[in-house]
Amino acid sequence: MPATLRLGASLRILIGGQDEFTVEPGRSVRDTLVSLGIKPELVAMVSVKDEMQTKDYVIQEGDTVRLLAVVGGG
Amino acid sequence: MNGYGGKILRVNLTDGTVSKDPTPADVARDFIGGRGFGIYFLLKEVPKGADPLGPENKLIISSGPISGMLIPGGGKCDWTTKAPLTGGYASASMGGHFTAEMRYAGLDSIILEGISPKPVYLFIDDDKIELRDASDLWGKSTFAVEKQFKEKLGEEFQVAVIGVGGENMVPYACINHDYGRQAGRGGVGAVMGSKKVKAIVLHGTKSIPVADKDAYRKAGMALYKACKDAEGLKEWTRYGTTIVVSWCDEVGALPTRNFSAGSFENGKNLYGPVMREKIVITDKGCFGCPCPCGKYSRNKKYDNYVEGPEYETIGLMGSNLGIDDIEAVAHANLLCDELGIDTISAGNAIGWAMECYEKGIFTKKDTDGLDLKFGNIEATFTLIEKIARREGFGALLAEGVKRASKKVGKGSEKFAIQVKGMEQSGYATHNATAMLLAYMTCDVGAHHNRSWAITYDLQVGREKVVPEKVARVIWLQNFRPMFDVLGGCRLQWVELGIDRDLYVPALEAITGVHRSWEDLDKVGERIWNLTRLYWARENEGFGRAWDMPSPRFYEEAPTSGATKGQITKFEDVNRLLDMYYEQRGWTSDGLPKPETIASLGLSAVVA
Repeated sequence: MPATLRLGASLRILIGGQDEFTVEPGRSVRDTLVSLGIKPELVAMVSVKDEMQTKDYVIQEGDTVRLLAVVGGG
Repeated sequence: MNGYGGKILRVNLTDGTVSKDPTPADVARDFIGGRGFGIYFLLKEVPKGADPLGPENKLIISSGPISGMLIPGGGKCDWTTKAPLTGGYASASMGGHFTAEMRYAGLDSIILEGISPKPVYLFIDDDKIELRDASDLWGKSTFAVEKQFKEKLGEEFQVAVIGVGGENMVPYACINHDYGRQAGRGGVGAVMGSKKVKAIVLHGTKSIPVADKDAYRKAGMALYKACKDAEGLKEWTRYGTTIVVSWCDEVGALPTRNFSAGSFENGKNLYGPVMREKIVITDKGCFGCPCPCGKYSRNKKYDNYVEGPEYETIGLMGSNLGIDDIEAVAHANLLCDELGIDTISAGNAIGWAMECYEKGIFTKKDTDGLDLKFGNIEATFTLIEKIARREGFGALLAEGVKRASKKVGKGSEKFAIQVKGMEQSGYATHNATAMLLAYMTCDVGAHHNRSWAITYDLQVGREKVVPEKVARVIWLQNFRPMFDVLGGCRLQWVELGIDRDLYVPALEAITGVHRSWEDLDKVGERIWNLTRLYWARENEGFGRAWDMPSPRFYEEAPTSGATKGQITKFEDVNRLLDMYYEQRGWTSDGLPKPETIASLGLSAVVA
């Protein structure tokens, strides 16, 4: 069962393009981002089931992984 | 006048009188409110060369047209003055509920003038305005005073109060409100202390005239809906600004051991989820906010409660001091809040002292016996107290790192992390040229909130020195502080990515004046130029040298972390300034050219 990567509006501002990707589980968020051509350092937050995770989190089957950037700062 | 309370309250502390002037329509038209009003009144009314802590200086508190309105983030007000920390322009933004009550009392600005012969507090209940004796409050903590007023007058009264730091005129003393919100930077609390004003207590019941009520409701609802629907609302509400601690650590922006690095080996202990798990008990927002980023914490280790810590305090009182204990950081936060000193400047001052100690510039003989190694939590707590009370070694650190390092010498100036005398806030900029430029040219000193460009550095290449980066910094400097003009919070745009065009119909419905963001950015540019002219007026020889960053960012590459071995070349620092001045229409020494002043319609203002 594939997983879903959802890009928040803040991240889409930076990289453009689509807001959702279907990805294969079993790889880290970081590796998955690289494979999609997205610079991992542009992603400030990884959220799975409303909990913050690191980019080393290994994507599980059926996960919806939400990614946010920080565009404007504090 | 639609969108305005219509009155400027003047409080003459020297003779104890109060008076109200109508809010000038032309100033409202040209400068809108908030920090726009602040710089206008500062330039016009505070004479050149005024002592920041003397009777000629004024403390100008201004709301804006969206303050106190049902617009997300309408809970901000601006505190402008001549800064005791820098000798230049200070403008500190404060959230909470103060600005709403100020508006409901019919006030667009409150201007404190002169010096009271004895401690007083300013009491405002609609049109009942009095200066009352505060002798029994002098020396008390900010929280104790706020609690006392709330219990006596009721929760609807809002309180802005200084602590011992403000009373002692520590140049980076802040003003506290709502048990944890501050007008934090530049020493606005010291100015209030110099005037012997312990607190302002206010409440109002008046309506704010609105040009088109139906359009206002519609525009306000559209903004709230956009916030509610925003991707990331849950996460920002859950973690607030602590969301960026891990990211800053990862990209080398987390200030570590007096900014000698941008990644902290124990940074994980300070990350947002750790804090949420260990100490946060609830979320806390400002007036009308749909995404409460404030975190309220129960600190079991120290048996107390505190709002925060926010990212900046985690950076400056945590990693910057080599402290990896979130409960200790929260306690340091509480001490600073109770005593009324800015956590950012205090964290810098202590970090600088720790580096001096580890380099042998200070010994225990200098530090009142404190073992000032990085990571010493108890010494940090002791120093916070000593700074606020200006006791012993704390008196030196209370001067701020620029003055303190000048007194001490021995090369310590090189690691005093400041621009224009203001200590740098929580982003290490060893190889982030846009963010470095943002700090160098910020109009209050090394503060991040005018222009925040690290993500842009990462996006286009952090070491690149290109006109596009300079243009980005300038655009942000013109645009972001407009929220401080409107009396609102920028974080809905920053954190949730709300389309800024949604504010345009709201502002028009409230004031009856249509302003596009192109118009608003132009107001921002005018204000930015005025603040620059103020710096030049108050400081002989003001120019490029004042924009230089700490040598730490162009001489010493970090030896660890994400930016290990990375640095900005000195020649690039100057190239950044060359491009910046040119794009701003300033001379090669960084002063607005006469034709720039004229093209912005500012000639009459600065005449």
